[in-house]
Amino acid sequence: MKIELYKTLKNLLETATYIRDIKGEDFFEITSLINKISEVYDNFYQYEPSYLENFVKKTKEQLDILLDQGEKTLTPYEIVKITRHPQRFTLQDILENVYDSYMELGGEGEINIDPAVVCAKAMLVRKVGDEIFFHQVMVIGHEKGHGEEFREGGSAKPWGNEKALRYMKMAETEGIPIHFFIFTPGAYPIEDYPGAAQQIAKNLYHMAKLRVPTIAFISEGGSGGAEAIGLADMRLMAEKGYYSVISPEGAAAIEAKIKDGRPPRELVEKCARSLKLTAKDNLRFGTIDKIIPEPPLGARRKDCEFFKRLKIELIRATDEVILQTRSIKFLRKYAVSKQETENFKYYVNWDLDEDEIEILIENRYKKYRKMTQWAVHENKTLFKSFFDLGHTISVKLKNEINYKILKQGQKTFKKFLNELTSESTLLLKPVSDPIKTVYNLIVGKKTGPKLITPSLQDDDIPTYVSPLALEDKTITCPQSEKYSCPDLWVPDLYGEFCGVCPNCGYHFPLEYKWYLNNIFDKNSIRTFNDEITSTNPLEFEGYAEKLKAAREKTGLNSSLISFEAKIGGISLIAVMLIAEFRQGTVGVAEGEKFIRAIELAKLTRRPFLALVHTTGGIRIHEGTIGVVQMPRCTMAVRDYVDEGGLYIVVYDNNSYAGPVASFLGSAPYQFALKSTRLGFAGPRVIRETTGQDVPPDYHSAENALKRGHIQGIWDRRELRKKLFTALLTMGGKNLYYRW
Amino acid sequence: MKIEYEHLNVILQKFKANPYKIFKVNTIHTGYIRDFLVKEGDEVKGPSGKWLEKPGTSLFVLEREKNLKTIRAHINGWVQNLRTDLLNRFVEAEETILEIKHPLSQQEIISEILLSALYLVKAPETAKYVLSPGLAAKIEKEGLHKVKIKKGDELLIMTFMKRETPIFFEEDGVFLIYNIYFKPFQLIERGQPLIGLCPEEQLPYLEKIVSRIREEWPL
Amino acid sequence: MKEKILIANRGEIALRIMEACKDLGIDYVVIYTKEDVESLHVRYAKEKYRICDYRDMNDLLAVADESGCTAVHPGYGFLSENFRFARRVVKRSRPLIFVGPSWEAIRDLGNKLFMKKLAKDLGIPVIPGTTEPVYNEIEAELKAEELLEELASLGIQKPSLLVKAVAGGGGMGIEEVKSLEELRPTFRKIKAYAKRLFGDEGVIIEGKIPVFQHLEVQLLGSKHGEYVHFGTRNCTIQSPHKQKRIEIAPGFSSQETYSFDPNKVEKEIIDYSIKLAKAFNYDSVGTWEWLVTPDGKYYLMEVNTRIQVENEISAKISFIRNKQVNLIKEQIRVAFGEKLGYSQKDIEFKGTSIEYRLIAEDTKRGFIPLSGTITKFSWPEVPWLTMRTHVPQDKPYTIPTQFDPNLALAIVYGENFEEAKKRGLTLLDQVIIEGVTPDGKELETNLSFLKEKTEFLYKFLEA
Repeated sequence: MKIELYKTLKNLLETATYIRDIKGEDFFEITSLINKISEVYDNFYQYEPSYLENFVKKTKEQLDILLDQGEKTLTPYEIVKITRHPQRFTLQDILENVYDSYMELGGEGEINIDPAVVCAKAMLVRKVGDEIFFHQVMVIGHEKGHGEEFREGGSAKPWGNEKALRYMKMAETEGIPIHFFIFTPGAYPIEDYPGAAQQIAKNLYHMAKLRVPTIAFISEGGSGGAEAIGLADMRLMAEKGYYSVISPEGAAAIEAKIKDGRPPRELVEKCARSLKLTAKDNLRFGTIDKIIPEPPLGARRKDCEFFKRLKIELIRATDEVILQTRSIKFLRKYAVSKQETENFKYYVNWDLDEDEIEILIENRYKKYRKMTQWAVHENKTLFKSFFDLGHTISVKLKNEINYKILKQGQKTFKKFLNELTSESTLLLKPVSDPIKTVYNLIVGKKTGPKLITPSLQDDDIPTYVSPLALEDKTITCPQSEKYSCPDLWVPDLYGEFCGVCPNCGYHFPLEYKWYLNNIFDKNSIRTFNDEITSTNPLEFEGYAEKLKAAREKTGLNSSLISFEAKIGGISLIAVMLIAEFRQGTVGVAEGEKFIRAIELAKLTRRPFLALVHTTGGIRIHEGTIGVVQMPRCTMAVRDYVDEGGLYIVVYDNNSYAGPVASFLGSAPYQFALKSTRLGFAGPRVIRETTGQDVPPDYHSAENALKRGHIQGIWDRRELRKKLFTALLTMGGKNLYYRW
Repeated sequence: MKIEYEHLNVILQKFKANPYKIFKVNTIHTGYIRDFLVKEGDEVKGPSGKWLEKPGTSLFVLEREKNLKTIRAHINGWVQNLRTDLLNRFVEAEETILEIKHPLSQQEIISEILLSALYLVKAPETAKYVLSPGLAAKIEKEGLHKVKIKKGDELLIMTFMKRETPIFFEEDGVFLIYNIYFKPFQLIERGQPLIGLCPEEQLPYLEKIVSRIREEWPL
Repeated sequence: MKEKILIANRGEIALRIMEACKDLGIDYVVIYTKEDVESLHVRYAKEKYRICDYRDMNDLLAVADESGCTAVHPGYGFLSENFRFARRVVKRSRPLIFVGPSWEAIRDLGNKLFMKKLAKDLGIPVIPGTTEPVYNEIEAELKAEELLEELASLGIQKPSLLVKAVAGGGGMGIEEVKSLEELRPTFRKIKAYAKRLFGDEGVIIEGKIPVFQHLEVQLLGSKHGEYVHFGTRNCTIQSPHKQKRIEIAPGFSSQETYSFDPNKVEKEIIDYSIKLAKAFNYDSVGTWEWLVTPDGKYYLMEVNTRIQVENEISAKISFIRNKQVNLIKEQIRVAFGEKLGYSQKDIEFKGTSIEYRLIAEDTKRGFIPLSGTITKFSWPEVPWLTMRTHVPQDKPYTIPTQFDPNLALAIVYGENFEEAKKRGLTLLDQVIIEGVTPDGKELETNLSFLKEKTEFLYKFLEA
């Protein structure tokens, strides 16, 4: 009896400490309460049993009141603290308490390629009346541990995410559903092979078409790290979980422009509120499907009721996903039956046949295609929509008729070559000549076409002059110490040198318009979906003004422009993320434009090019509405590539975080211009997460190539030529100009 | 090539008497001196950080063709003979603007003393030199004191009279690359040491000298 | 405003420009690097600035502004044929006069391929070959095959090809190919070399003319549409690296016998040169280089849009109203917009002039340039000899190692070829160049090579 009391007292002490940790030391004199409990607990055997009994009862009542009070005043930042608390349930607790049996695969505690990622073969038992049915599932998730350091708080290393992918594929081979459990503050932001961003992108790309039902449960959903195992058919979320684009601390550091140290507490709490990271917010946004209720101030590792509930919800979610691939009627019946208890009224077979798998994948595409579409802001007149539709159809017809074979295209080519040569200048030569050469090579002509001699008129001068070039001054190449580069005269540098130091090859940043004017055939660019506008869906304080400033500065409505253009006569669809607009960050407007563009490329059988002028990641001011653009766009990428298209990404300047970890990093062909920096997280985040400084060239294109993240490094001066060669030699069979 | 212990003492005494080296900071090109960012006697630092990623102390601003260039210290020490009279004046190239009185570090003392202990490859001409690419890659990978060379190996590429001439190693025996005494692409006077080599079998002896200097000259 | 010229060069050409400026009454400023402090061009200049590099346009222009120059004379080599320099000089916010042709002319004529294409269009004969850079070997092989056929049809025995880097020059990045089998490996090699050295992997393939003479036409144009020529020069005698060593004017000798009419060929190449110059409104001195074969065929090779080292031999044989001409003075005059003040018919050609390039080089071992100190340098004081040198005679001179080891240009004049040649040989016997190499050995020069080669003047030579 006394032992029981002792245990209970211990639990009460833990609960009290927990309340203090979450609500703070000033919460209803919690500190003095803790002291009192400790006092009794420490001197337990000096007290009379009756006193103890009374004390325990009273304290329990007191704590229940405090829990309820705490629940009532729960703030978003306190929720963040709940998910991070060592007393919160972890994946290990779920495996023990929710599944009827499990076997961990590819790791055991510290003996593990990545202890932050746990994979297990698990079994669920379903009772229907007197009958018992067994379901096999693959469980893949983050393990935060209850304070064990080697778990890194559930931050998956790149190879941890690779391990996750391996077991996804195993489940796919065996045809069993996957349950994903997301308990991560974010991915461990290192670039070692396979690389944080690239591996997340690979996972997303694969999950887009996983041939088995997938359910995700989110307790701590830290941005890209969460998405690595988050693209699921059904997304459940713990009531006291958070799902966010960035940790509130990270957001505060960015808002306060802090390079080192901690941002102020008030700002962190404000950011937690602004980010709209709670389960309720996410359900409202449609970024999750269902909330799993928790006890006041959140479920902890001993909350058996919660685990029971979770088990039912997991089975139901899996059932629903599967039933959606079968007859609607059955699903309705199932839904009406209200599976609220452990005794199920139905048995649902979790095996899918080929047709059902196809429907499953289609449903998944539709689900993500629709996700956050409500937030897309589009000022479009009816006439314009009608025109766009008509245009799309006519383009499609034209391509089908004209370009089915290159034979027809040859004429266009020749014309292009002639035009190019007749109006070209010597300055353009390095650009145009290789194109002709490649053309001759591919067409296999013995002698080159007769060319018109260039004239020496004024149209020799390229029509586009970078505004940067219009100043009589010189600047120093940043690599001059190392390579003794002479100072560069600005008109030369930003004119003829294409912003490249001729001595060492360093690439100076150029404005995005330079690319539009120098890479594509003259007058071949036609933008579309310009009306889709970045807005402030979270009503993030102060953000609307920043957006307005960006719009005014650039004349653009979002950071992504989508357009059709030609290179060497080959028509293609392209998007460009633009540094001048909020550092090329991606939100719902950019995501939607990206998807529409790549869908148009698929429809019209054209190559698809993503030029990344710069991207700073997912726009934090759009919260998870931004984050889900990662799975959304990657889904579209997968669909396009599988259809036999050609998707090329070219990185320039700085490319980091979400987009690289999804729809850019999943491209089969990724190239970086020299002097590009690309990766997952910048040096500050790496230092904060890993405690390590990284060398200055950590994110360089050369290192990205060395690590196998990109396919090659290109020189900006040769970009047009390289792209042309790529268009002719790479990609699938479904391009309009292929035989 | 052997260095006697007694002789070593003499050299060490010499360095102890004057453990400084004066570095001139010359203008790298013409221009106007626009600003002095240090004062006479100021302490300055060379590049620092694990990867020398943090630049040295800013010394002065030189403007040419509307490019304001901050000239920084490449070595630590104290500023002396600062030519403040040149402020806002046009200066020619190679004009000395200040000097840095640099206290020699243990490593530098070792390096200086080893000049008389190592087999030196000297500049055959006043010219610009770079390590041969193959050798540079090897040193980068394996580090100094480990890379072996033998007769016929390409050591350096000399840019001389507008031509690139390879320089081959011509001694018998196996040597280790012990020290490199030059900066690439800079004009090196004829006869200046370029590379310090140590015969493989003499490495232990050399290390004895080094540890002796370390004793005498703690960090 | 009084004109003032920045002499953006070193050595003997800087001295010749200084002399021309003095004659014209124009002020000038000299620049030098620390290695050149002993050079005569520094000693003789009143106003001079030390800079970091003759190739650093920023330093040149900074000095030009500081010293109040109104014009820049680039000399030869260094930035003289850099169209970007010429463009910057005239386009900057404080523009200067560029003593040379327009930057467009430098750009377009300086690009051998472009020049060739344009010449072809104007009906000017050029060496058979690709008129565009070739980037891939399959195409290169096809081109080479065609070319070999073409050369054979021109009657060339055992035709061979030259594979050249587009961006190369001065014997760099060029290799001969004798059979189609060698083409691909050679092409690959040159392409890689070009990419590494010049950053442009474009390669051209040309037929090799096996036996020829190298003739060049000296032109002068003004801003008023006037064009004159100062005859031709013969520069057939070169080092194995295709660097000129002896030049002679005029280009053909009346005392030699040719299988063709040399006057007709000379007139034709002059006419063609002027035709191309007019197409560019060429308004400075310039040289059009031609190859002439033993059967009187000729091909335009390249255009040098600057004053050339050997300009003075043309000046020595050209007389305007009986007065000897100075081409550098003419170049400066037209740059400042002056009219010529004479026409072709006022120019009369008299005599023969030979230029020897005296160089510290090891002619027996691959013409390796040599460094060292000149301890004694003297030559006979005779009226028929002009010695152009920056090497002081009154004290030892250490040859800087960053530049070509050219010591002097010896320009000899004679009433006819016989006399000029005799005087040339006399000079080579009497000139004294003594010096020591850094190892204390006697410094070699190319005097004996020059003597030996004098016998081959006006001969057709095998390439």
